[in-house]
Amino acid sequence: MTNPIRAWYAGLTDAESNVAWSVGVLFVLFVLGVASGVINLSYGLYLLALAGMYVLLSLGLNVHWGYAGLIDFSVAAFWGLGAYGTALVSARDSPLGFTVDPIVGLVVGLALAAAVAVIIGIPTLRLRSDYLAIATLGLAEVIRSVINNQSTWTNGPSGILGLPLFFGTWPILGDVPRGAPTYALDVCLVAVFVGVTYWALRRLHLSPWGRTVRTIRADEDLAEALGKNAFRFKMEAFVVGCVVMALAGVFYAHLQLAITPGALDPTQTFYVWIAVILGGSGSNRGAFFGGLVLVLIVQGTRFLGGVLPSNFPSAAVRLLVIGVLIIAVMYARQEGVLPAQHELITPGTTEGNDE
Amino acid sequence: MSDDAIADGPVTGKPDPVLEVRGLEKAFGGLQVTDDVDLDVERGTITGLIGPNGAGKSTLFNLVSGFYEPDGGTVRVNGTAVTGAEPHAVANAGLVRTFQTPRKLEGMTVREAMLVGPQHQTGESVLSVFTNRGQVVAEERANLERAMETLERFEIARFADTPATELSGGQMKLVELARATMTDPDILLLDEPIAGVNPTLANKLKGFIRDLNDDGITFLVIEHDMDFIMDLADPIVVLDQGSVLVEGDPGSVRTDDRVIDAYLGGPLDE
Repeated sequence: MTNPIRAWYAGLTDAESNVAWSVGVLFVLFVLGVASGVINLSYGLYLLALAGMYVLLSLGLNVHWGYAGLIDFSVAAFWGLGAYGTALVSARDSPLGFTVDPIVGLVVGLALAAAVAVIIGIPTLRLRSDYLAIATLGLAEVIRSVINNQSTWTNGPSGILGLPLFFGTWPILGDVPRGAPTYALDVCLVAVFVGVTYWALRRLHLSPWGRTVRTIRADEDLAEALGKNAFRFKMEAFVVGCVVMALAGVFYAHLQLAITPGALDPTQTFYVWIAVILGGSGSNRGAFFGGLVLVLIVQGTRFLGGVLPSNFPSAAVRLLVIGVLIIAVMYARQEGVLPAQHELITPGTTEGNDE
Repeated sequence: MSDDAIADGPVTGKPDPVLEVRGLEKAFGGLQVTDDVDLDVERGTITGLIGPNGAGKSTLFNLVSGFYEPDGGTVRVNGTAVTGAEPHAVANAGLVRTFQTPRKLEGMTVREAMLVGPQHQTGESVLSVFTNRGQVVAEERANLERAMETLERFEIARFADTPATELSGGQMKLVELARATMTDPDILLLDEPIAGVNPTLANKLKGFIRDLNDDGITFLVIEHDMDFIMDLADPIVVLDQGSVLVEGDPGSVRTDDRVIDAYLGGPLDE
């Protein structure tokens, strides 16, 4: 009975088994914490949901940076476009004055992000990668400013409140009591989002498409010389990554039931970058792990507030911890904790890479 | 063209050219690097392109393959105009080039690098990866089999699982040539294929190029090693100061006074 698990465990590298152990131990601690009442059940579930959202963001940025080598500093902006996309069409307080089901909001959020990605991609993806970095950094600020100032479209700085729960209009799921049960539903929802995204990105990565994109990342001239339209592939990678980030945004909006322009803070972008680099660029499992570590740091440092004296600068310490962590990872393990290992060949076509 | 024939400037109007260049111009600042170049590469030949340093050989490669935009003139591949087209479009038209310094692919094994070669793979489309799984897998199998055969042919099959970054310069040259053949090119442009390669491997490369030529691939080869290129290629095109000085068979080119002058004195076979 334990054979498949043993076989799986035996096949892991040292780094993988260490990660598996630490994730396992943390999860057990988390369950114990919730069971013993140290962590409030609702808050615990909320943390899990948030972890799922950060995993989605890391997976999205991994498509940009890990797959295609695109230096994208507009993670928070595309996340925000997803959140505002659904909020504008589904929230009670939407300035647009109509509401539709969150499912439609999901589609609107993703479509909005995809459309903006294409519009931004056309002039910038032909540039060298460092110009893309500058352009996306600028874009992120532009989007934030527009949302902040175009009050007639977006309610400006006060944000959009009164979003429905994602399952709010569903027959049975819409009737569960608020609190832990709805958070449990959110955890299930984000698990589905993460699962589908992970599966889709893995399939896309382990394919001729993923291989071509990796070639472009390593040497764009060579890819062009071999007849690959680098611009087309970079555009596709950019749009796919942005849509995954927007998916995280849509989920967040329906988790918090509100969205304000303050949430599009560029710090979020750099948190996600740290998750991807820490996990291992180009590796989906790495991005997954990085996202988990991120939520641990961002939310975990909050608990320090209870232990430490009240004048302790915990927000600054959080940034310090993140800074030290990134230096430590870069120093000890430049390729990240779980670096990419796979050859990008469609599974099932070679010996030893069965699906 | 009979033996011992040499022409002033290029020989144009050949019966079946794969590559036709007419009046190609390129200047960098005030320097005319490519000056009204005409060139025909006849199908089935191995054409050599030689010339002293700074003659504009690599620039000509970059212009023809789409990496530089010409200031004037036309480039045709298989009769299709590709002047000013992007490199991938030129490659799709049938002209594929290699680079002077081999390009290593970070994070890829040799066989992965080989699999980048085949053109128009179904699995290169985001949509088809999900909707046309069967064909993607079938093509991948076929391409992988072909990649392994090609690696065996080039006697580097033992490196199939080796990370591309761990190969030596010479081995990488072989992989580059092998990968280029995976694109099914009509014409292959090789930029100094034996630079930094030991004599044994250079001889092997010569044999591989001849075999591929027998299979129907036309070659245009830049090479500084005179013995190598004179043995391999016919005709030889000599480029000097941005234009074609002479074109002819190796024997005539080797002893031509203008060519010797262009190389600043000294006979070519020292």
